[in-house]
Amino acid sequence: MSVLSETPTRPVATGPIPVKIVVAGGFGVGKTTFVGAISDIKPLTTEAAMTDLSEGVDNRGDVHTKTTTTVAMDFGRVAVDDAIVLYLFGTPGQDRFGFMWNDLIQGALGAVVLVDSRRIEDSFPALDYFESRSVPFVVAVNRFGGQMFHTLDEIREALSISQHVPVVSTDARGRSAVKETVLSLLDVVLNRALAKAKGAPG
Amino acid sequence: MNSFSGDEPHVSMVRPFLDHRRPLKPAHADDDTVSLTGVRAYAMTGGRAHATVHLEFETMLQATAAGRESLTAMMFERADIIHMARAEPLSVAELSARLQVPIGVVRVVAADLLSEGLLEAFQPSENVADDVLLITRLIAGVRAL
Repeated sequence: MSVLSETPTRPVATGPIPVKIVVAGGFGVGKTTFVGAISDIKPLTTEAAMTDLSEGVDNRGDVHTKTTTTVAMDFGRVAVDDAIVLYLFGTPGQDRFGFMWNDLIQGALGAVVLVDSRRIEDSFPALDYFESRSVPFVVAVNRFGGQMFHTLDEIREALSISQHVPVVSTDARGRSAVKETVLSLLDVVLNRALAKAKGAPG
Repeated sequence: MNSFSGDEPHVSMVRPFLDHRRPLKPAHADDDTVSLTGVRAYAMTGGRAHATVHLEFETMLQATAAGRESLTAMMFERADIIHMARAEPLSVAELSARLQVPIGVVRVVAADLLSEGLLEAFQPSENVADDVLLITRLIAGVRAL
């Protein structure tokens, strides 16, 4: 309880408090379905025109190749209580969209990396990205309402996911499964916040 | 006040490519801030690509009383944003999706409206990842969904 009591009292909220999590993964892995299963609204699509600095892609010496790409992104919204509004952003997982994640992950609580057990390699870019930036994440294997082709341990090993990252099974079409997956991410987020508060008091 | 007060023509709202006096191509071929694909996206922002106030995708916006009152004097994306956010706060992403305008444009235009007191912003908690109280509330709320 000491952590909670040391937390300065939040001023009485006079408006909504938006928070966001990111749902990443390869094409067709069920990101929009996942978002839609928990969202209060039908998932919306937005376009973000992103400037790509093309780092390391077509690196021609000191010439900075700058291109503008339009990336579509699906998202949903959940009113969690009378103030907190949770946004879930499903983001393209292809390598070339990595630049977009910087903008999206800014201020995000964490990420759910959705994995199709038949195409686990599609999740590599997302895993690499979140691991390298210490963004809290969970790996959620979408069983598509059916059975899994591999055990969670096999998938953990195949993706070389460290033991402190939860690997869970989910069903992107099921509200309760999606809720559990979000809660498993929030658990990681909470534990990290508590550990940090403990390590650096005051 | 900026150029939108009084009877001034809304010069900055003219789409660059609709104004035939302006060349379609950038004056300097090596000017890396302009590309043809970017023209439409920034047409309504007076050519600016960066907002003065940083708004996250999830930052929620709502029209102020002043914003609602001056709605009839506004045009294009300015009016659309105020109109859409007149009753309830909506995020930058929602405004972008519902108005079918790229997020970057909403960010820039909304930042102006904010600085003019026509919009009110509800920003996300600054250090959300360290906010034990907020995370605890979030967990309780999600569990109760």
